[in-house]
Amino acid sequence: MIAANLPILQVIAPLLSAPLCVLLRRPGAAWAFALAVTWASFAIALTLLSQVLESGPISYEIGGWAAPFGIEYRVDMISAFVLVIVSAIGSAIMLFARHSVASEIRRERIYLFYAMYLLCLSGLLGIAITGDTFNLFVFLEISSLSSYVLISLGQDKRALTAAFRYLVMGAIGATFYIIGVGLMYMMTGTLNIADLAVRLPAVASTTTILAALAFLTVGISLKLALFPLHAWLPGAYAYAPSMVTAFMAATATKVAVYILIRILFTIFGGVDVMAGMHVGVILTGLAVIAMFAASTTAIFQPNLKRMLAYSSVAQIGYIILGISFASETGLAGGIIHLFNHAVTKSALFMVMGCVVLRVGSVNIRAFDGLGARMPLTMAAFVIAGLSLIGIPLTVGFISKWYLILAALEKGWWPIAVVVVLSSLLAVIYVWRVVEAAYFRPAAADAPEISEAPASMLIALWLMTGASVYFGVDATRTLDVALGAAKLLLVDRI
Amino acid sequence: MFEIGLSHYMSLSAILFVLGIFGIFLNRKNVVVILMSIELILLAVNINLVAFSAELNDLVGQVFAMFILTVAAAEAAIGLAILMAFFRNRGSIAVEDINVMKG
Repeated sequence: MIAANLPILQVIAPLLSAPLCVLLRRPGAAWAFALAVTWASFAIALTLLSQVLESGPISYEIGGWAAPFGIEYRVDMISAFVLVIVSAIGSAIMLFARHSVASEIRRERIYLFYAMYLLCLSGLLGIAITGDTFNLFVFLEISSLSSYVLISLGQDKRALTAAFRYLVMGAIGATFYIIGVGLMYMMTGTLNIADLAVRLPAVASTTTILAALAFLTVGISLKLALFPLHAWLPGAYAYAPSMVTAFMAATATKVAVYILIRILFTIFGGVDVMAGMHVGVILTGLAVIAMFAASTTAIFQPNLKRMLAYSSVAQIGYIILGISFASETGLAGGIIHLFNHAVTKSALFMVMGCVVLRVGSVNIRAFDGLGARMPLTMAAFVIAGLSLIGIPLTVGFISKWYLILAALEKGWWPIAVVVVLSSLLAVIYVWRVVEAAYFRPAAADAPEISEAPASMLIALWLMTGASVYFGVDATRTLDVALGAAKLLLVDRI
Repeated sequence: MFEIGLSHYMSLSAILFVLGIFGIFLNRKNVVVILMSIELILLAVNINLVAFSAELNDLVGQVFAMFILTVAAAEAAIGLAILMAFFRNRGSIAVEDINVMKG
């Protein structure tokens, strides 16, 4: 009974827990409850992934209404993979959250904070699991609206400005998406993703569908912060509470990338959008500019959370580069980078959270001599930083290896050179921090500080450990990523 | 007399859409106007959906319009709440202030 209803439980559990969390009031109780819910949804996601790997895609009809009429939840290889990423990060970050949130959010607001967090999580999980474009819009809004609130709770006054900016940009993005969905509904009379994939090729050459494709792509690019549309991201990540930054950086943009993959390869799967409509070339160009422009900007940021935010824009560039190749290797490189970047970036932002807790600042000057004063935290930063650069034996290497392979496969060797060159920029901005932490003495008047609390270190080292473990033994993640790419490009289900 | 058809509704919605976009990008004074412009764009989408649903003889589109109204209300509520908090901090909601985003 329960096993058959797992797809709906995945979304409903955190969604219904959010109002229950409001009833709990006490910060400790709310935290423990949210922790239990996130770990349960992680267990559900893992079960779904193993079911999909064993017996193929799962289709779940809500309320027993058959697919094109009712809402269908559909779990295939890539959506199960995204579910695992989101719920894994979501549950690890809950471990991290307790001390970090207690120090950054006013006590009487903490239970509301966790309620919003659960809502955001259920929105993101819902996007990954749904098989209906309008349902996807609703979940997109659930996750976006709650993330505006989460960001605006940051301590810095500029958090409000950043949240408002994100709200305006996010609202435009969501509106563009729904316009695209409306136009597709006009031409095909359906909103079910699988049904759309069947009916679209017949009307693909009409202006209406071309306009729909343009609206969908631009709207989702706003949400995933593709290069010229990334203006909201650095502010939002820099001023949000540390725990929110770590969560958003690892999940929100990744889920938006998942939507883009669904649009380009499933909904428009039967239409030659990448080459025939030149979407591929545009995405490649923007991805390359993102990799360079954002990495270069990152080098000059004194605020390290802002620096990592710009680095996120660059990493999104890598993911989009992989997608824009539209080949199996390239798409697999993009999909595996979803996981790899999520793990690495959440570890890096957790380091920032630990430093905020103990030192109270993420300015580069606050890091002077920190290597000796917070040895475990800074060691994690070095390892995750190496993974961000793409050193062998870390996850970053696996994704870059596949991106370079895909570029060479197509004979686009300049792109392969570009990937390597832009990694060198990452060396510079990671080195700035390492230099400050290990090779500069602490300021004479620096206060005595201790290492971060154990629960935060456990979460941090879980993520750091994962970024090494899956770098050494990448067979499991690669199997899923290659399988998902094959499913999207060849089998077209 | 001419008949009012799908193209008229679509033109109306296109006009509303363009007005909304211009409202967001040309606005230099008031952030509340930005929120109103977003509402305007969402309403344009609603008109589109309702017109499509009438054209296709399918009620689903109108149900979706109700959902979009709900979402638009939630968005406005959160936007206004952020502006309230902002006003309490700074005593103004001028766009020039809001654009101060120095690291």
